[in-house]
Amino acid sequence: MIYEKLSPGLLLAWDDFQREGELALITHRRSLGILPPKSVIKPTKSVVFIYCEPDTNLSHLSQYGIEINQSFGGIRTAFLPLDRLEILAEETAIQRIKPSRKLKIKMDVAPQVMKLPSFVNRTGLTGKGVVIGIIDTGIDAKHPAFAGRILRIWDQTLPGPGVNEGLYGAEFTGEQLCISQDMEGHGTHVAGIAAGADAVYSGVAPEAELVIIKSDLQDAHIADAIRYVFRVAGELGRPAVVNLSVGGHADAHDGSDSLSQIINAESGVGKIVCCAAGNEGNDNIHGQANIPSGRSRGMRFNVPLNQMGMVWLNAWYQNSGQLEVSVRSPNDFVTPYQKIMTSGNPSQSYDLPDSQVELVTPDRDPSNGDYHFFVQIRGRGRSLVQGGIWQLRVRNTSTSDTRLDVWTLDDTLSVYFTGKSVKDAVKIGSPACASSAVTVAAYTTKVKYEDIDRQVREMGLELNTISEFSSEGPLRNNAQKPDIAAPGAMIVSALSSNFNSDRSMTINSQFVAMSGTSMAAPFVTGLIALLLQRDPNLDPTTVKELLRQNSSIPGKPTGTFDHKWGFGLINTDKL
Amino acid sequence: MNYQKLDASLVLALNEVLEPDLVSLVVFVYTEQPLSNVAAAVLRNLGVGGVSSEKDVFTATLSLAQIAHLSDQPWVKLIKRSQHLRFLNLGSDIHHY
Repeated sequence: MIYEKLSPGLLLAWDDFQREGELALITHRRSLGILPPKSVIKPTKSVVFIYCEPDTNLSHLSQYGIEINQSFGGIRTAFLPLDRLEILAEETAIQRIKPSRKLKIKMDVAPQVMKLPSFVNRTGLTGKGVVIGIIDTGIDAKHPAFAGRILRIWDQTLPGPGVNEGLYGAEFTGEQLCISQDMEGHGTHVAGIAAGADAVYSGVAPEAELVIIKSDLQDAHIADAIRYVFRVAGELGRPAVVNLSVGGHADAHDGSDSLSQIINAESGVGKIVCCAAGNEGNDNIHGQANIPSGRSRGMRFNVPLNQMGMVWLNAWYQNSGQLEVSVRSPNDFVTPYQKIMTSGNPSQSYDLPDSQVELVTPDRDPSNGDYHFFVQIRGRGRSLVQGGIWQLRVRNTSTSDTRLDVWTLDDTLSVYFTGKSVKDAVKIGSPACASSAVTVAAYTTKVKYEDIDRQVREMGLELNTISEFSSEGPLRNNAQKPDIAAPGAMIVSALSSNFNSDRSMTINSQFVAMSGTSMAAPFVTGLIALLLQRDPNLDPTTVKELLRQNSSIPGKPTGTFDHKWGFGLINTDKL
Repeated sequence: MNYQKLDASLVLALNEVLEPDLVSLVVFVYTEQPLSNVAAAVLRNLGVGGVSSEKDVFTATLSLAQIAHLSDQPWVKLIKRSQHLRFLNLGSDIHHY
């Protein structure tokens, strides 16, 4: 045996095998590619790497039961009985023999899918000098993943004098950061993905600094928070990227809503906003109907039994049309058709025997010039909303055919369209529909993990494709959204110590698994922070173009757009 | 109250308000530009932060009475209700409109 050719670990295993036989190899199995024998007759085998000149012919070794998997190359793999190791080492053409190692499934597969580790190694980027704003449920300021990098917390939910952008809530720095707590865990998790510093579950930009806003989820206050982040970053002379893993469907789905417009106005050079696309890919919350001139159409929607206190419908159509609106209950009671009301209070309430319906049909919305109506349905008195199939009825009194888009709004996303009016598209709402925002869909990189109790948890998603829960675009005005996709299923990140996470989601005392486009957005937020570190003068247009050019849908040419994928999964290889 | 300056969901919300002086409705207020000193003073008195003549949209928490008063001002173009959003992790189903 030429011992010098064996790597130290393989040499140890060989020595143990020589002294004590098969039993001695048990402890070496995992780390040394040792394969247990399938029967008492067949010997223990080893999988190794062998190093030689690329054109060396090693085919003669097969007579000794040594199987070399490649006939060419400077590093080859081989499979051999362990007692033939000496023969392999005696072969003069072989320079070195190293063991194969059995790997563990790592939790941190998501960065590899984006080729992030090699991008970071190549560029040395860490997010240093960039501010990441997280507008969310707050943060666990004591979590080691963020040590020393949280600049400020504006807790909008606490009483206090507020800040310049909003005279409510309380602002904390330094030692007082811990006064604000993340009780829901979402914000800490999101911040960890974007900027956590940890050996195993590292964030994308582990040296970026954080400005945190604990939000009450009012979109007006989120608008204030965006202005706050950019102002603080500006005072520090730093570029900033804001993460918004929040969304809703009470808007026009064309980027004309107030929050989207403020995002557009506040974004600019060194000021970028990144949004999650939404999780309604599997939910029929959107209905669409084409109503010919002079005709009527019905759109059916289902309300679950004994569950809903209130149901709303949010409807929009272009100003070339004019629609009158009525509602039919499951017991066939109907409201009259209500016209557009251009003066006075545009709402009317109708008491049906089984429900109370309110219709609001105002004049055109100045934000986009389109017509909009709202439907509110309640039960009679204190009753819940009547369960069953309801119908929204519309009558087109204009000379133009009209396309109507409607979204259901309710506390638990339980009301959904049925029948012909179901339209599995146009489900990206505010703020993800802001034209200047980078809107991120979710991609599935993992379908199972082991929780803190070593139970395997699965989600039933298809691996290595767009997550089926990810909301589809385009926007109501056919604008292309989402922009790109990033990992969003079973993502492990920082666990807030104030969050009572279910054990099925918990990985250990400091990390938890969550899923959603909420998790996809901060991957891109962190990546944008790296890009801003490299070039602080990037603006939303150049950032989106860079990301699009480095994203693709499997099997499709770069530049192909899809309503679910956007321009595809981000790949940082050539970024 | 100039209803033509209110968006549909704000109209609905106002119909539900029982106490006209209860400050509870979070809104966006769109104004003419540039904002006059008088208009700026009115907004500041209403507790609006970050008032400046360069902006044309502000956020505020107002009562029904305050909204009615603002809607009648010529320099106010539009008042829209703030919407309650939800977090986008799976299992985050509870939200309120």
